[in-house]
Amino acid sequence: MAANAQPTDAQPKITLVSSDNQKILVDRDIAERSVLLKHMIQDFGGETPDQDIPIHNVNEVVLKKVIEWCEHHRADPPATAEDDSDNRKKSTDIEEWDQKFMQVDQEMLFEIILAANYLDIKPLLDVGCKTVANMIKGKSPDEIRKTFNITNDFTPEEEDQIRRENEWAEDR
Amino acid sequence: MARARSMYRESSTRSDTSTSTSPERDADLDDDNDSIMLQTNDSQSSIALSTSTDMDHDAQRRLIEERCRVCPISRLPAELMIAIFAKLASPADLRSCMLVSRDWARNSVGLLWHRPQTTKWENVKSIISAIRRPDSYFDYSSLVKRLNLSALDDIVSDGTLQPLSSCKRIERLTLTNCRALTDFGVTPMLQNNHSLLALDVTNIEGITDRTMFTLAENAVRLQGLNITNCHNITDESIQAVARTCRYLKRLKLNGCSQLTDRAIMSLAVHCKYILEIDLHGCENLEDDSITTVMSEGAHLRELRLAHCTRITDNAFLRLPSEAIYDSLRIMDLTDCANLQDAGVIKIVHAAPRLRTLVLNKCRAITDRAVMAITRLGKNLHYIHLGHCSRITDTGLTQLVQKCNRIRYIDLACCTNLTDNSVMQLSTLPKLKRVGLVKCSDITDRSITALSRPKQLGQGGPVTATVLERVHLSYCTNLTLAVSNSCPAPYLC
Repeated sequence: MAANAQPTDAQPKITLVSSDNQKILVDRDIAERSVLLKHMIQDFGGETPDQDIPIHNVNEVVLKKVIEWCEHHRADPPATAEDDSDNRKKSTDIEEWDQKFMQVDQEMLFEIILAANYLDIKPLLDVGCKTVANMIKGKSPDEIRKTFNITNDFTPEEEDQIRRENEWAEDR
Repeated sequence: MARARSMYRESSTRSDTSTSTSPERDADLDDDNDSIMLQTNDSQSSIALSTSTDMDHDAQRRLIEERCRVCPISRLPAELMIAIFAKLASPADLRSCMLVSRDWARNSVGLLWHRPQTTKWENVKSIISAIRRPDSYFDYSSLVKRLNLSALDDIVSDGTLQPLSSCKRIERLTLTNCRALTDFGVTPMLQNNHSLLALDVTNIEGITDRTMFTLAENAVRLQGLNITNCHNITDESIQAVARTCRYLKRLKLNGCSQLTDRAIMSLAVHCKYILEIDLHGCENLEDDSITTVMSEGAHLRELRLAHCTRITDNAFLRLPSEAIYDSLRIMDLTDCANLQDAGVIKIVHAAPRLRTLVLNKCRAITDRAVMAITRLGKNLHYIHLGHCSRITDTGLTQLVQKCNRIRYIDLACCTNLTDNSVMQLSTLPKLKRVGLVKCSDITDRSITALSRPKQLGQGGPVTATVLERVHLSYCTNLTLAVSNSCPAPYLC
């Protein structure tokens, strides 16, 4: 599992408590990859809080996975406005380590996305969304339904109507 | 792992109950979807997880839990599904998403229709027919935010626009070169559209004041306007636009030679956020409007006045004496032939951070102006002095020594320049392009120096030249041999 079990001594530590009441000790700078936690820590007046911080919406397994990602990316420069506009270019390129990191079952994948959204870790949310987008790319509607086990709740008439009304949408 | 899984389920239930009733609301909040669309189609698009008061809460919880177990992606709320769909570049992929399920259709339709594909006539016909259908599955017309018909410029007519005029939330309307269009087609597109941010009607002579008045009445958020070569738009309607479209940032009025100082001064006075204004070929403009554009434009970054032939030094000399226009980076004064040294000196004092300065065909300027330009120092990257035939090696030497970040320099027809100038140019470490057309005194000696590797500073490292291109047409003293021996491509 993640190296967060033995955080380096130099860093102030923060105790996070997962939704299933498990305590996880992390370096402060790792916790601050999460904008939500960063703001919470700021609310303690900038001091490293010595009380536990509850993470109500994320269980231990997912939280550890998220921390693993933050540890790997701890030295990443902060995102700039340029990065944001790059994202708009809709690139679904994912760096190799992140690709491997995201090779998990679908339940875990969506839990990571939900956790990244809740904890406000934009780059992780971005990798998660790109991963799902890559699972959709190039597939027919039926193949997409199979991939995600989605039930087709359209009537045949509705499906046909949507198909006709959007037939202009081709590959660019 | 079994323990872990049971915990996901627990947490997922929690996250899902919080999102189960929200897709509709999330979609409402999202800019790309809108309430009108959802209301019109409420009967058709069933909200799968809608709360029902008489449904037992536990039973509902179990149902959601079961659904998320079978189909894990269904636990993502609408906003995250939209974030995923936003990563899909291909409209074909988005169309596939629309056909997956009702939920997926609702979350992808806004992205697909944001900027419909209008590069082929067949597609445009199909888009129009979907928009016209009274019982369409979604209210597509309210989803279109960008419409660009410039690829079909020779087919588009007023009749094409008529059904599209129901799209009242268009933010960017680009009709470049659709020459068959007139007020009759364009005006209805603008009526009751209060979302428009940018309008481009370049080269549509059929556009008159009528369209511009309608724009002024409706487009209160307008930021960009391009009316290049619309010769039937007069001062009156531009003044109306200036009075109401206060957020204008980018203006292109190229070739609108019918416009006078009245229109431009209105824009300058009312629109305080102008970043870029291009008045290329607005031949009727006089000094007053240019003075006002500069003195009122606290944010002005780019001022293009090419071929505004009536402008004189006074346009700049009348600027408040101590005023500094720190934002101004680009100035194009091509063929402002009345401009003299005094004007250039004032410009450089008032705009000390100019990066690009084009003085092509400002034939009256001399080394005095060039000496002033040296004040721009490292800020100057691009300088065009073509046809400024009075300048000499003395001025140029100073320029190169003080402004050593120059990347592009054009000295076409500066016939006084000799090898000495070109030898100076060869010391510029970042020089990429040089224009020396008709500099007939230069010889092989200096051109060879130009393409030699450079030494950075005294005793510094030697680096290969970054020179990309040298224009040497009509340099009659050069031999062919030299152009063949140099690494940069030479155009002779």
